[in-house]
Amino acid sequence: MERTEEEEAPAAKDPNASLPSPTYRSLAAPVTKPVDKFALLPAFLKVRGLVKEHIDSFNYFITKGIRNIVKANNRIEARNNPSIFLRYNSVRVGVPSVQVQYIAEKITPHFCRLTDRTYSAPVLADIEYTVGKQYELKRKPNFIIGYLPIMLRSHACVLNGKDEAELARYGECPLDPGGYFIVKGTEKVILIQEQLSKNRIIIDTDSKGRVIASVTSSTHEIKSKTVIFMEKEKIYLQLNQFTKPIPIIVVMKAMGMESDQEVAQMVGRDPRYGDLLYPSIQECAFERIYTQKQALQYMDDKVMYPGAGNQKEGRSKSILRDVFVAHVPVESGNFRPKCIYTAVMLRRMMDAILNADTFDDKDYVGNKRLELSGQLISLLFEDLFKTMNSNAVELMNKTSEKIHSSPLDLSLHIKENIITHGLERAISTGNWDIKRFRMHRKGVSQVLSRLSYMASLGYMTRITPQFEKTRKTSGPRALQPSQWGMLCPCDTPEGEACGLTKNLALLTHVTTDQEEGPLMNLCYSLGVEDLSLLSGEEIHASGSFLVMFNGLILGKHRQPQRFANAMRKLRRSGIIGEFVSIFVNEKQHCIHIASDGGRVCRPLIIADKGIPRVKEHHMKQLRDGIRSFDDFLRDGLIEYLDVNEENNALIALYEHEDQDDVQRSSITHIEIEPLTILGVVAGLIPYPHHNQSPRNTYQCAMGKQAMGNIAYNQLFRADSLLYLLVYAQRPLLTTKTIELVGYDKLGAGQNATVAVMSYSGYDIEDAIVMNKSSLDRGFGRCIAMKKYTVTKEKYEGGYSDRIVKPQRDKDGALLKQNMRALDEDGFAAPGLIIRNHDIYVNKQTPRNTKRDSGAHLTDRDYKDSPAVYKGVDGETTVVDRVMLCSDTDEKLIIKCIIRHTRRPEVGDKFSSRHGQKGVCGTIVQQEDFPFSERGICPDLIMNPHGFPSRMTIGKMIELLGGKAGVSCGQFHYGSAFGEPSGNADKVEDISRTLVKHGFSYNGKDLLYSGILGHPCQAYVFMGPIYYQKLKHMVLDKMHARASGPRVLLTRQPTEGRSRDGGLRLGEMERDCLIAYGASMLIFERLLISSDPYQVQVCRKCGLLGYYNHKLKASYCSMCKNGENMAKMRMPYACKLLFQELQAMNVVPRLKLTEG
Amino acid sequence: MERAAGGVSYQRFPRVRIRELKDDYAKFELRDTDASMANALRRVMIAEVPTVAIDLVEIEVNSSVLNDEFIAHRLGLIPLTSAAAMAMRFSRDCDACDGDGSCEYCSVEFHLAARATDSDQTLEVTSNDLRSTDPKVCPVDQARAYQHALGGTEPFDTAAAADQRGILIVKLRRGQELRLRAIARKGIGKDHAKWSPAATVTFMYEPEIRINEELMETLTLEEKRNLVESSPTKVFNIDPNTQQVVVEDAEAYTYDDEVIKKADAMGKPGLIEINAKEDSFIFTVETTGAITAYELIMNAITVLRQKLDAVRLQDDDADLGELGAHLVGG
Repeated sequence: MERTEEEEAPAAKDPNASLPSPTYRSLAAPVTKPVDKFALLPAFLKVRGLVKEHIDSFNYFITKGIRNIVKANNRIEARNNPSIFLRYNSVRVGVPSVQVQYIAEKITPHFCRLTDRTYSAPVLADIEYTVGKQYELKRKPNFIIGYLPIMLRSHACVLNGKDEAELARYGECPLDPGGYFIVKGTEKVILIQEQLSKNRIIIDTDSKGRVIASVTSSTHEIKSKTVIFMEKEKIYLQLNQFTKPIPIIVVMKAMGMESDQEVAQMVGRDPRYGDLLYPSIQECAFERIYTQKQALQYMDDKVMYPGAGNQKEGRSKSILRDVFVAHVPVESGNFRPKCIYTAVMLRRMMDAILNADTFDDKDYVGNKRLELSGQLISLLFEDLFKTMNSNAVELMNKTSEKIHSSPLDLSLHIKENIITHGLERAISTGNWDIKRFRMHRKGVSQVLSRLSYMASLGYMTRITPQFEKTRKTSGPRALQPSQWGMLCPCDTPEGEACGLTKNLALLTHVTTDQEEGPLMNLCYSLGVEDLSLLSGEEIHASGSFLVMFNGLILGKHRQPQRFANAMRKLRRSGIIGEFVSIFVNEKQHCIHIASDGGRVCRPLIIADKGIPRVKEHHMKQLRDGIRSFDDFLRDGLIEYLDVNEENNALIALYEHEDQDDVQRSSITHIEIEPLTILGVVAGLIPYPHHNQSPRNTYQCAMGKQAMGNIAYNQLFRADSLLYLLVYAQRPLLTTKTIELVGYDKLGAGQNATVAVMSYSGYDIEDAIVMNKSSLDRGFGRCIAMKKYTVTKEKYEGGYSDRIVKPQRDKDGALLKQNMRALDEDGFAAPGLIIRNHDIYVNKQTPRNTKRDSGAHLTDRDYKDSPAVYKGVDGETTVVDRVMLCSDTDEKLIIKCIIRHTRRPEVGDKFSSRHGQKGVCGTIVQQEDFPFSERGICPDLIMNPHGFPSRMTIGKMIELLGGKAGVSCGQFHYGSAFGEPSGNADKVEDISRTLVKHGFSYNGKDLLYSGILGHPCQAYVFMGPIYYQKLKHMVLDKMHARASGPRVLLTRQPTEGRSRDGGLRLGEMERDCLIAYGASMLIFERLLISSDPYQVQVCRKCGLLGYYNHKLKASYCSMCKNGENMAKMRMPYACKLLFQELQAMNVVPRLKLTEG
Repeated sequence: MERAAGGVSYQRFPRVRIRELKDDYAKFELRDTDASMANALRRVMIAEVPTVAIDLVEIEVNSSVLNDEFIAHRLGLIPLTSAAAMAMRFSRDCDACDGDGSCEYCSVEFHLAARATDSDQTLEVTSNDLRSTDPKVCPVDQARAYQHALGGTEPFDTAAAADQRGILIVKLRRGQELRLRAIARKGIGKDHAKWSPAATVTFMYEPEIRINEELMETLTLEEKRNLVESSPTKVFNIDPNTQQVVVEDAEAYTYDDEVIKKADAMGKPGLIEINAKEDSFIFTVETTGAITAYELIMNAITVLRQKLDAVRLQDDDADLGELGAHLVGG
């Protein structure tokens, strides 16, 4: 698969430069082998590895973001006495610690996991404030203003920079990527939030088909959305602060641009623009608005909330300054930058009307920004910090009003709980409520899944959308070409979130904010003409381009290509940041420079006329350790491109040494390795480019459900539920991504010998026939570990629960048999078998928790409230560990880890790495299994029907590769698109290895029937395939019920397995029974097994009566006698329906016939 | 391949010729019988020859990283020398201990006590650390090391030295301890694979290869070489003296038809004809070391004979419950 990738826009060419004349030197040049650049991938991941975007975002917050927030709000003072003030001078984040008896104790993440604490660090500030009647200045360094949860592996974390031995001492797994928080003992991930870019113009159509230009402005102070739309040939501004849309010319006049000619010049001299603008100008004249004052008066009449705010300059003027395209600054009342910005919006809107190609795609990745945890916590911290300061100001006002009061320490007004509990609550619940921006988001943070190592990594690279998943629009769900290399094309859920929830690709990096001032100065130094010096005529002169910096118009440049090249040269040499993006948009005649956070970008090799700058000696230095990835950036060999800048590049997948110079000369970049367009989870799939695409997506979902090893410290954790595979293996046919992410060390499956053949009827559909001896030897065996938590509660008056030893009679025998698992301390003993209904904590509770304090309780004052284990009868479960700790309220917490080793049984679910899942249909003795003359007996038999309709050719190649691997003793590779570069073995090479070791080149063997001993008539495709054991096991899902609890309202059986509910007979089941004619079975299911109820019905009036048990007679309330009563059985829900109808004055009457 | 006409039962006089016989490996020919007998022998060798394996584990102390069930499972899979297994009793039928399986007639007791104390080195607990109360039943690696210490049958080499390390059970770090008692009992592979003495047992039909000499003469030497190399396994060779294609190893043939396809591609169909003899079987037996290959074969024949006797001796109205009589032992 060889191709060159050309993004949406053609490569920008300088029209003055002539194409190089074709030469014939390439025919005589020696053909050189392409440089193997794979070593750049581990070097990149070492520097910017997995989930580094989470850590970088948080590091940016704790180093710069928090400082900027505090600096912007660094002074609070009493309202009526400015001499009473408090100032924050500097702020920093300390080391993670917890306050115990007023002493700070250092904590580690694992300590917080086990003891249900929050892994947080104090936010320290140096404050100074006035004190006393003379207002002396007092300083207090290292004042704690709150506790901030710390992201693992960030700068403030104790794990930062530690090697493997040190991490082991801390109880951590070195393969754990970090990037999450521990809040109240739970691991929480703040998912990457995807949203539209801020401060950028988007041209679109709305639901009514109108052309709109919209900008979402975002600054520290305010967020607002500005929409300009055209309706009936007139252009209006729509802003939430105005009750009606405002004609756009009125807005321009209100901002000081009173001349219609100047507005027309600002938009453009093209007569087509004038034609489109003329009806709006006419409307303004019709309203008799000619001056700025009149325009402001017109707008003042339409303000949503009149009367509030600054009255001197008028409400609408302040709206125009602060809310209307809020990110464009107004300095000293100069509205000209806003006028120019509005004109650019109008011009682009008209371009879209005249030419549909210029509409913006909201789903284009370059129009998206990813909000990471650092930004989200920054918003929350700022809100909480301001709330804390507001509360402090209120207290200062109260104290300052009291004359002659004693001097008070102002620092006591700072309540650190506001920040501490606010942050903790938000991360714990996932609800982000910020009143200032009216932001109410849910599900921002989620519990990090520890089902498998891949599930954890998948969580860290996940991107969630902003809008509802229930909408069935296909636009946001479709695969975008701009996602190439940035977002994984395979990893997305099925169902309602399909296409909306996405995952990052392997080399993707998400940027953080960079300082804007020096970059702006650099732009002016390189020839950008300031906007304030230009007239409308000059702004849109032909041949010159606007320069927009993070959505703000800087000015104009007459030589845009040279400007872009100069900027890129500076970036490649490291003078400006490596993530700054320079995008020359030929359609818009605009150069976009972006240095804001949240852009996805990736590294690419720079090529000069198709020849890569990375040479073999560079790679040798990298392998020898002399050169690092950052050296490649600094020397200008590799650079980061974001999605927009990729439009100016021509990116080749491989070096094309077979092409001549003319074809190669337009290539600007080369991929480091094409397998990096997939993400972490999709990188597990061998030969995904040989599979049908949905199969790769299914495997991305199932790879997260596979059991295996989750971390090196998996046996020291206390997760609620943990599944481990007893003999996890690494795949025989592996991929480079597997080695890069460490999956070969924490595997989640086993290599099984699979025969693809028919065998009995038990492998119908997707079922698998399994070899009993393989299960005996440990195939698919897993361990399920579950945590049960008991709290020793405290009550008023100093009373609390107590733990007692098991009660015994005088002979020493246990009074209750279900106490056999207990030790003498009242807790279950580790290593003992615990069965269903056994007690694992022998707890007692005071009978009266409201008793007078001080009284001593005796044994009679306690009642038994033991913690009883609820398991499956007949299964052998073992107490693994019992842990005691105190929680933050100093209550005793008992955590009991109970372990169950399970062997696969019929109904358990398995899957290969290609979306081919199946349950175990039957387990067959080994002597009945087919065998080859080498004695190889397969572990499982797969139905060949699984292959043709699903087109998982990659699985077939995996079988061949695994067979070759086990023959020659080497791992084989199946990385995505890896055949040309050697990261995937070719089928021809694999077949050659098979033939060399005596196997058939196509992977087929002659098998003999195990039952009869005869040779099978067909050759059987047999070899090792990596199989995953999924978490769906019969033991967790099996449910049967003869009788049990019922719902109170309808007296029907409860619903669901966990409530011991009845088995559901749905509508489809009912239809089948009707079609089959099994009416008595319907009767039995819906009445006798559900909610039969005997009612007394009056034959005369048809209403329900009742049965008087004292008189032993039935009675009708309507007829006032019992002469005509008849007994019948009906569902209780039916009786309930009748009674509810009667409550609504609807009288149903029963007309009885003889039975 | 055509199947022999069924329905007619006839008396057979099978012949056995042993080609290779080692302690854990045997290769022999079985002739003048049909697939049912060969397959029955294979099945009995895999699933019905009794051996001894650890069946109950009582763990007193286990502070290693593996949990109790994990270690118990690994102990059960260790092959134990089972030469005495045929004479032992099944625990469920033992009258000496009333079926609880703890007496000397039906079980063997093992002890293991290991503790990593002094150094930072990881202590490897292997099958050599298991102490048996019966010297006849012990892990196979122990038995092999014992034989070697006596200056026994095989000379010393690095492979034997590697074998003496024993089967790894668990690794202990400093301070970790493992102490347990285990009981080994008699069983058959049908119940659990740990009791199967066969690492693998397989047979193949002996191929009958016929070369058409007249067609072979029309081939050039290069064509002959290509024909020989078309087979993934080395079946044919070229005689350096006569330049003729000869069969070097007929049993290396894997019935993959590659050489026949090659002949067809050369335009010479019928150059080589290969058929499977339906009355000749080449058996390959590998054992886990619990019993020798010879014992495995002879015990299998004994078990098979017991089953046949049970069928023959039953009355017409009796059920087939006696088929399991050989499982009683004694």
